Amino acid sequence: MLMEKNRIKIRIYRKDPEKDAKGYFQEFDVPVEEGMVVLDAVNYVTEHYDQTIAVRWNCKAARCGSCAAEINGMPKLMCKTRIDQLGGVVSIEPMHAFPLVKDLVTDVNENYETERAMPEFTPKEEKEPWIIDEMDVLRSQEFRKCIECFLCQDVCHVIRDHTTKYIGPRHVAKAASLDMHPADSLDRSKILTEEKGLGYCNVTKCCQEVCPEHIKITDNAIIPEKERAADGFYDPIMMLIGKIKKRKNGKNVE
Amino acid sequence: MLNKLIPKELLEKNIRLYMFIILLAVAALMLVLFPVPEYKGYIDPFYSPTILVLPFVGLYRLTCYAYRKDYNRHIFKHPIACSVIGRLDDNKRGYTGETSGIFKIENLHRYFLYSAIAILPFFYYDLYISMFYTGSFVLRLGSLILATNAVLITLYVFSCHSFRSLIGGRKDCFSCMHGGKSIKRVYDSQSKINAHHETLAWASLIFIIFVDLYIRALVAGIPIDHIIFALVL
Amino acid sequence: MNEYKELDSDILIIGSGGAGLRAAIEAGANGASVVVVSKSLLGKAHTVMAEGGIAASLGDVDSKDSWEVHFSDTIIEGVFLGNWRMAEILAKEAPERVYELERYGALFDRTPEGKIMQRAFGAHTYRRLCHVGDKTGLELIRTLEDRILHMNNISVMDETLITKIVSKDNKVIGAIGFEMKTGKFVVFNTKSVIIATGGLGRIYKITSNSWESTGDGIALAFKAGAKLVDMEMIQFHPTGMVWPPGVKGLLVTEGVRGEGGILLNSKGERFMLRYSPKKKELDARDVVARAIYNEIKNGNGTEHGGVYLDITHKGAAFIKKKLPAMYEQFKEFAGIDITKEKMEVAPTVHYFMGGILVDAETCKTNIEGLYAAGETAGGLHGANRLGGNSLADILVFGRRAGLYASEYIKNAKAGKMGVREIEAEIDNVKKYIDNKNKGVNPYEMTDKLRNAMEEYVGIIRNEKDLKTALDIVYKLKKESAKCKVSGDMKFNKGFIECIELNNMLLLAECMIKSALERKESRGAHTRSDYPEKSSDWEVNIICNNVNGDIILESAAIPEIPERLKKILKQ
Repeated sequence: MLMEKNRIKIRIYRKDPEKDAKGYFQEFDVPVEEGMVVLDAVNYVTEHYDQTIAVRWNCKAARCGSCAAEINGMPKLMCKTRIDQLGGVVSIEPMHAFPLVKDLVTDVNENYETERAMPEFTPKEEKEPWIIDEMDVLRSQEFRKCIECFLCQDVCHVIRDHTTKYIGPRHVAKAASLDMHPADSLDRSKILTEEKGLGYCNVTKCCQEVCPEHIKITDNAIIPEKERAADGFYDPIMMLIGKIKKRKNGKNVE
Repeated sequence: MLNKLIPKELLEKNIRLYMFIILLAVAALMLVLFPVPEYKGYIDPFYSPTILVLPFVGLYRLTCYAYRKDYNRHIFKHPIACSVIGRLDDNKRGYTGETSGIFKIENLHRYFLYSAIAILPFFYYDLYISMFYTGSFVLRLGSLILATNAVLITLYVFSCHSFRSLIGGRKDCFSCMHGGKSIKRVYDSQSKINAHHETLAWASLIFIIFVDLYIRALVAGIPIDHIIFALVL
Repeated sequence: MNEYKELDSDILIIGSGGAGLRAAIEAGANGASVVVVSKSLLGKAHTVMAEGGIAASLGDVDSKDSWEVHFSDTIIEGVFLGNWRMAEILAKEAPERVYELERYGALFDRTPEGKIMQRAFGAHTYRRLCHVGDKTGLELIRTLEDRILHMNNISVMDETLITKIVSKDNKVIGAIGFEMKTGKFVVFNTKSVIIATGGLGRIYKITSNSWESTGDGIALAFKAGAKLVDMEMIQFHPTGMVWPPGVKGLLVTEGVRGEGGILLNSKGERFMLRYSPKKKELDARDVVARAIYNEIKNGNGTEHGGVYLDITHKGAAFIKKKLPAMYEQFKEFAGIDITKEKMEVAPTVHYFMGGILVDAETCKTNIEGLYAAGETAGGLHGANRLGGNSLADILVFGRRAGLYASEYIKNAKAGKMGVREIEAEIDNVKKYIDNKNKGVNPYEMTDKLRNAMEEYVGIIRNEKDLKTALDIVYKLKKESAKCKVSGDMKFNKGFIECIELNNMLLLAECMIKSALERKESRGAHTRSDYPEKSSDWEVNIICNNVNGDIILESAAIPEIPERLKKILKQ
């Protein structure tokens, strides 16, 4: 038990794009409780000092991925970042890779558009109920842990700092989760490379580092997709085998 | 034409890149100018089987996913770190990733993997030579170092992401293949060492330089080799 | 004059949880133009928190399982208060919904034969819960979300709060709400509305529920004239975290006890041996919750007001393999290693069995064109819900609501909302924003309400407490009219809190009045002044909206037909 009530200074980024030309920080003094997370501190501020601070949160248990923010410069979930693990002043900013709505809230709807443009799960025609081996579900299931907090999109320098075709780590992981589904009939590596800018990823693995679900996005989704693409694009032996197979089938099946 | 070949990243003023290129060039020049002769059955791994394979080995490492992460972060600063403060990346800087010019070569990683696998047996052959160069079996400190080197490089090569794809990563369904269970088991074991690919990449690189220096030291007459066990026939 | 935009659609679905999305898919597949609105972002609904699985009698693990057994488990655990027809539909249709979900792309855990894996859960006779690790709800939402995004006639407006459902001559004609991102009002002209907004756990201080579970949909329906049923039935989950304060109430899955965890009081006594010598820790949720509650009340609680849940004897390897999420949760939030230390737990509000009264077959309410499905709708679970039945519920009845709403709109004519009505509603909502005068802080009000509900309408109730709670609610109702926040409409959480508070106060009143009315103990509803179950009370208590007043009536539970009675006897 704490003998004395500790206090901490938190700096919250404020900006309403319709009113303010520039963002600024507002500093608040918040009492610290044991086990307190950054979201507790922000909620304390909204409940006691300033109700107008825009913040998005839902489950407060690291299950929904709503409260993604940049805490002291690192993309993190506010509900999963303990105050006692941060020293000094805590700065909280929205995910700057997305258009700002207000204060800590950003508009992440572009991600749904990207998802919409991805070919959906297309099952092979098989008799039901499907028989799928346990060993074949594990790889795809890793990506299904994704809580869509979009921290990986925020940290990815291709998305954040450059304008390219690249759709970002979350969506490559999504494509991988569909591709590696044993009952799925499509191969998305080709469109990933041709249309969705997979080649812009330079495997610096920050997405993997910030993932709150500890999904190995680069190692298990992006690189395998790059390798699958290499089968079709850069590997003459594989290309030859593919062509022979196509000819055998008698038609070009895309 | 040249514009297409050389991506914008390479045209920036980049001291780290220049230093890196100079370092590589000097190292290569030194290796060519001062070759290490065989010393009492020890063959320097840089010259095994011949220094002519060095470009392939070099390209294997340059296109390796582990090193890509490191040089993209520390040489090209795309991005310099995961923290979003103080990044040097922005829209004004050109960036094409692995889609243009000579960076496309990174997509050919698997061919350099094939060449690396082809070179691997020579390290074991060198180990054999080092132990039997007198005609009978002699185990010296140098052989243990060569053995460690061979094992590290083997682990590094076989923990490769391309290899992971080739042995099953490219398939969606293991159980649909003949011997799917065994393939899955191999894939799973490989995935375990794959998780340490970066560590292995650096460990094997540092070690091969160490072996080179060790043999050079012996050639220079520094007595640091010891016989551990000898079997006289 | 206020500014607003108008949006036309055939069906408006409020809520983007499992029930809402499943309804949208069905309605969309039937050719209706559908708008889904939700208070949270798409894919963040409380459904993602569901851990256990979907109850469906596939019989993949226990081949003896059948819909009949699932049906009787549901009715018996609901202490015969549940609607027999709903339970029958649920038990019969759940397997098809699971297979369908698999066709949509969900990837369930498998048995060694490659079928869908099913796990055991409290009070299910057989192993019945189809699951994806301990993240079944997440997989369900992602799968449905992906499907929705690829359907052209469904549009999603997330972060939009509906403040009123407009009906005319007992027929739905539309709804009014506002977009949180812009703060602009939207008028939805629609032929049918499906409410799928989930539960109301946030009325309580200690709850496992997400931010959005404030019962908005139930309140909207009631205000529009719909009847509510079983409002006294709220489920307390026996084990929620108690420390640190920030995560108080966060669920500790039933799996911990299922895997061998034992409950101890501060004296180190395994008290469940006293309360339930046979089933011990694995008795029904209401029994265990009451036992823990009594231990704490009798002074045998721990430092932070809970009891100990101990699974350390199982060994670190076993715990990490079987309960990875729990291990992570305690390590991240409490700094406790559950392989070495005991957990502290106490009951937490978990699920609302009551809700909008709907027709068992079609999910229709007593208002034409208004449908409800999922936790929002009442009747299925009776006095207690089985684990896993809620995910089955949202799929089965979500689909039905979508299906029958899309049938209904084929012959329904669109109505037109009067401008005056729209203006009045907008003014009514806007009154909470006042930059000149300082009013009452809505957060303080909600805090008072939550504390009152926690203290007086908890696990064990009595007339005196309930009346005290009712007085507090009346007082808060008066005060809440003075709720004011500063700023503007754009993403103003304090402003949203005002609207939610208004809804929660209404529902709290319904809950307390119903609880006062039911003078017996049944399932989740326990009265210390009426500790026995009484056959006189085999009725549903229904809340009617009579000119804005809550008028209770009791309705006989529909009689179970002979063919199903036979099943129950077996």
